[in-house]
Amino acid sequence: MVDLGLFTQIVINGLLLGGIYVTIGVGFSLAFGVLEVVDFAVGEYVMVGAFMGAVLAPLFGAEGVFAIPIVLVVFFGVGALIQPLIHHVTTGDRPHPLLMGLVFTFGLATFLRGSVLTIFGPNNQDVPSSLLTGGVTVPGVGTFPVVRTVTAVFGVTALLVFMYYLYRTRGGMAIRAIAEDRTNARLMGININRYQSIAYGAYAALTGSAGVFIGMIFTANPGMGLQYTAFAFFMVVLAGMGYLPGVILAGIVLGLTQSFTAVYISGNLVLLVLFAIIYVVLLVSPAGILGKGEWAT
Amino acid sequence: MSGPVPSLDRLPGEPRYWYAGLAVLLVAWPLLFGAFWARIGLGALMWIGLAQSWNMIGGYAGYLDFGHGAYFGIGAFAAAVAMAQFGYPFLVGFGLAILVSTVVAYLVAVPTLRLTGAYFAIATWAFAESIKQAALVTGITGGTFGLSLPRSPETFIGVPVPFEIAETFFYYAMLVLCLATMALTYYLFERHEFGYRVKALRDDQDAAESLGIDTTRVKRQVYVLSCVVAAVFGSVHAWYIVYVHPNDVLAPIITDRMVIMALLGGLGTLTGPIAGGLLVFLLERLSSVFLGSTTFYLPLIGILIMVTVLFAPSGIIGILRGEVDRDDVRKNVKELGEKFDLL
Repeated sequence: MVDLGLFTQIVINGLLLGGIYVTIGVGFSLAFGVLEVVDFAVGEYVMVGAFMGAVLAPLFGAEGVFAIPIVLVVFFGVGALIQPLIHHVTTGDRPHPLLMGLVFTFGLATFLRGSVLTIFGPNNQDVPSSLLTGGVTVPGVGTFPVVRTVTAVFGVTALLVFMYYLYRTRGGMAIRAIAEDRTNARLMGININRYQSIAYGAYAALTGSAGVFIGMIFTANPGMGLQYTAFAFFMVVLAGMGYLPGVILAGIVLGLTQSFTAVYISGNLVLLVLFAIIYVVLLVSPAGILGKGEWAT
Repeated sequence: MSGPVPSLDRLPGEPRYWYAGLAVLLVAWPLLFGAFWARIGLGALMWIGLAQSWNMIGGYAGYLDFGHGAYFGIGAFAAAVAMAQFGYPFLVGFGLAILVSTVVAYLVAVPTLRLTGAYFAIATWAFAESIKQAALVTGITGGTFGLSLPRSPETFIGVPVPFEIAETFFYYAMLVLCLATMALTYYLFERHEFGYRVKALRDDQDAAESLGIDTTRVKRQVYVLSCVVAAVFGSVHAWYIVYVHPNDVLAPIITDRMVIMALLGGLGTLTGPIAGGLLVFLLERLSSVFLGSTTFYLPLIGILIMVTVLFAPSGIIGILRGEVDRDDVRKNVKELGEKFDLL
């Protein structure tokens, strides 16, 4: 017999978790659109963000929330400086540029993971937060844990700000132009180096700060990155390549899948379930669940 | 590319002494240096073989398989289940490893080879991770307890063999497997028509199709072949270490190592995985011996990969062959500097 109270609670947790995954997924697919590189380091940005939260929180009286602005600035700067390297690897007269881009971000991911593992060791680190504890109980519905709710609100807000920049400003127009056709954008007088760096920096900042929240909800561990890389790819495959509204839906599906699997099957089998879903989606509907993306190739 | 072109008429003749010397050294290695160095040697041989198996799908076919380690683990568990759960000799486990990995690789190949690039990479990675999770909860694999393999003289072929099954035996087993892998790669990918089909689909899939190559079929063949080779090494490794656990033989680091070795050495070359395999294997051993850190080699390798891709995309072999020289690097640095014009 399905416990209805538990069921709605799982739905709440899943939806709130989905909010933060959407942030990662949207940034990730934008980086893909602009740089044409699928970033293997996405999960490691989440991981490094979580560790920055763990390191910075004690400086602010054990409050991880105050680490967010620093993480945003640092990640934006670092991302802006990594972008030219990726751009260089994927252009020029080298064989298999796209493969090389992938391999470069794989090296970056190995570097980040290895560095954190060497410095902090393999153990879990807490990202403490005293502001975001407890939960608000809505009678008849369930409990909204404060940390997950704030996380989801942050995710949605960041997403809206990002969308506003992308669709309502000149800079955003430049970025969309680059995503459409890099050469033509350059001919129109756009400094493609600058706007690619802004796009990649914004993506890194979004992902890193999502990492701080994920660290507060769960914990920070040097090995956690791979899982979020898989999540990002999962969302994009599910959404259909290059279809942004699909990413939002896919993020929510991911959050729900994770919390349902954890409760009704086993927390250790989440990836098995995700792989099964990807397997079926690829066989049945290669253009994503909504069928509106490009074919997954 | 610049510098003097090596004259062709000097090539035969001299190197043969090298090959002969190398062959003698490889065969005499455990007899000359004892059990400790036999262990080091067999580790290096196994990793070179595994790097080559990854190179088949990743280098020659251009499909970055980030779940290749799963087949190493599948091979290890096939041998372990046959020997520990059913009491069969190792040879049966070896056969089972080939059979199971063929079937699994084919079933995975059908949907995932529809993807390319990163999507293929991540789908195979998710597959490997789910295999690990499955192995941890299934009864037949021993779950979280792992499995212990018997290693007495009669467990090889069913009747007692007149030699000891220890380091020296496993050294020669790995040597035979590694050389067989090299020979197979050389024949199939460098000499046979099959290799040209594979390289054609890597360089341009549409063009390959238009020439009448059944790319789907060729891709599946390469994938299954490379996975079976990894499983074969896995089955011998399981018997060598005597105890298998999902967290050891199915760890993602196994795939990472294979990728890194093939990449640093040079993708899609016969000798690349040998050079890269030796370098990474020794780097890892040296880092744990001299720096006292078993993880410090990871950031080093990460940097090595990034620098290689930025300045010498054809790997160590490319540098040795003179495909990348100082002028290329200088040009690369200049072009890279221009891309930092951000303001």
